[in-house]
Amino acid sequence: MKYAYFLSCINESMTRELDRSLEILEKDLGIELVKLTRGTCCGGSNLDYVSPDHFLVINGRNIALAEQMKLDLVTSCNTCLLTLRRARQILDSSPEKREFVNNTLRDEGLCYSGSSDVKHLLWVITEDYGLGRLAGLVTTPLTGMRFAPFYGCHILRPSNLLGKDNPATPMSLDHLVETLGGIPVEYASKNKCCGFHTLLVAEKESLALSGNAIEDAIRAEADYIVTPCPLCHTAMDAYQPMTLKGRAVSRTIPVLHLSQLIGLALGHSREELGIDRHMIT
Amino acid sequence: MERREVSFRIYRYNPQVDRHPFYDNFKVAVEKGITILRVLNHIKEHLEPRLTFRAFCQAGICGSCAVRVNGISRLACTTQVWDVLTGSGDDPILVEPLNNLEVIRDLLVDVDPLMEKLKQNSSWVAPAIPEQQMGCKEHIVSETELEVIDSATDCILCGSCYSECSMMGVNRRYISPPVLLKAFRMNNDTRDTIGAERLQQVTADHGLWDCTHCYRCVEHCTKKIAIMEGIHRLREEALERRMTKSEGARHAQAFFDDIHDSGRLKEVTLPLRTKGVAGSLGMIPLAMKMGLKGRTPPLFMKKIPDIKHVRELYRKLEIRAVVKRHAVRQTERLQ
Ligand code: SF4
Ligand code: SF4
Ligand code: FES
Repeated sequence: MKYAYFLSCINESMTRELDRSLEILEKDLGIELVKLTRGTCCGGSNLDYVSPDHFLVINGRNIALAEQMKLDLVTSCNTCLLTLRRARQILDSSPEKREFVNNTLRDEGLCYSGSSDVKHLLWVITEDYGLGRLAGLVTTPLTGMRFAPFYGCHILRPSNLLGKDNPATPMSLDHLVETLGGIPVEYASKNKCCGFHTLLVAEKESLALSGNAIEDAIRAEADYIVTPCPLCHTAMDAYQPMTLKGRAVSRTIPVLHLSQLIGLALGHSREELGIDRHMIT
Repeated sequence: MERREVSFRIYRYNPQVDRHPFYDNFKVAVEKGITILRVLNHIKEHLEPRLTFRAFCQAGICGSCAVRVNGISRLACTTQVWDVLTGSGDDPILVEPLNNLEVIRDLLVDVDPLMEKLKQNSSWVAPAIPEQQMGCKEHIVSETELEVIDSATDCILCGSCYSECSMMGVNRRYISPPVLLKAFRMNNDTRDTIGAERLQQVTADHGLWDCTHCYRCVEHCTKKIAIMEGIHRLREEALERRMTKSEGARHAQAFFDDIHDSGRLKEVTLPLRTKGVAGSLGMIPLAMKMGLKGRTPPLFMKKIPDIKHVRELYRKLEIRAVVKRHAVRQTERLQ
């Protein structure tokens, strides 16, 4: 199994441990993730309205780079996933826009044709690799540990662009936790918003959003929160002391990346997986 | 005709009498195809005459009957019981009032705050034709002009998105998705004349830039309107009109600039560029703690190997934009 791997800016800076632990997993699982070093930032949810043309060309280029390698493109960031898939849908449905993008990309020898799919790491693990196969690799089952799966918005909504999990009752991450021997806890916030995208614009409200979800997970007696998105991770880990200020909760709760969750069950240490780099450990 | 007995668990609350909300359970024999609204009517007529809810058209047009069914905001009159059965069909169906609005009684909520926000944000067309000539003169809207706002005009103000909105959940003063959608719809109506003024209103505090992009409004819009397209286009218009003083606008611009400079987002200076010097001071303690854990973003993002190609793309797009602007000016002059 071989994929092009999209480099998300946050994993190049604040959440470096995510990609580090993923590199360890590649060997265990026998999945090859070829880093898309020539790719750029996807523009987050911002570039589209600063300049819709740039948004299309930049992300058409990102996907075209994967096409050139004849590989599907995988990302471990929810917002990169949605941004790339949005661009892909626009390009696939409009011959004029595709022509415009391809005319712009021609000098670099690139061409968008729509042949590469854009997937989230969670989908690659649960669908392409398969939970049955993964179960066979578990050496240190996460027995007795309680996990609150936090999906994040941009892997669920809008479902017409993503459409793997039902946004009202997502289950894929719950099933993954079970496969690894852990207990997925039911709590109301699992499909809610972490507030990351407005942290610098409406801080108080954003902190209230992530605080609600964290409090919910603590009340459901989870030992860990686990999330497939590094942005959710940042909002819930780095900002956790701020979000819990003034709330009647008895403790903090560590937040794991998807790659670290799997790594733990495959017998890797916390140091190897960079879990001690988190703000809440 | 398929028929079965279904349990309904319905939210009850009369703030003038009850200390707390409570739930009432009803068992109703339902045929396939029956809607939640028909069940509510049945309960009111035969089982509990005090049950209070709002409904009118029974056809998904008036927007008055939205409630939460099993936690999700929907129109009672277009939601069929069969489609919301869970478990093996034996779990009770939960019916509750919309979120983010005060309950007047049972399923009935006070929509005045939404109406008030519509007023504050000039949610109507202010036409160029003077009042005295209204009705005498036609202002024709072409088909292509209508296409832009066509789907947005489907909004029936049912409040489902208002109830689902993440930001509304933590700030009742937030402008809210239907009001943003209306602003988009009015600002792109060719008959309207107060676009700039409306955009000033919409971008005030708790406004356009506070949307977290959670897409809950889009996911649960009862008319399947792509509300986020409207929000994006309003933000685009704000930037075009050089309304770049807000934090949201500066934040967005940073992404655009950084891709040109290095191909990557420079997270280390993002707070400074979004919030300015004074605004960022509050972030220093967090930054220092993150520094101790080796979590601070690098001072300089390494340029991606092909940055010259990316810059070339920007150059081409800039030329294209200049040509476009020129063409628009030409046609304006011709008109
Ligand atoms: S996307 Fe924005 S407007 Fe829509 S529900 Fe989320 S916060 Fe509210
Ligand atoms: S945008 Fe959709 S969900 Fe929101 S009020 Fe209008 S019709 Fe209802
Ligand atoms: S009763 Fe009019 S929309 Fe439901």
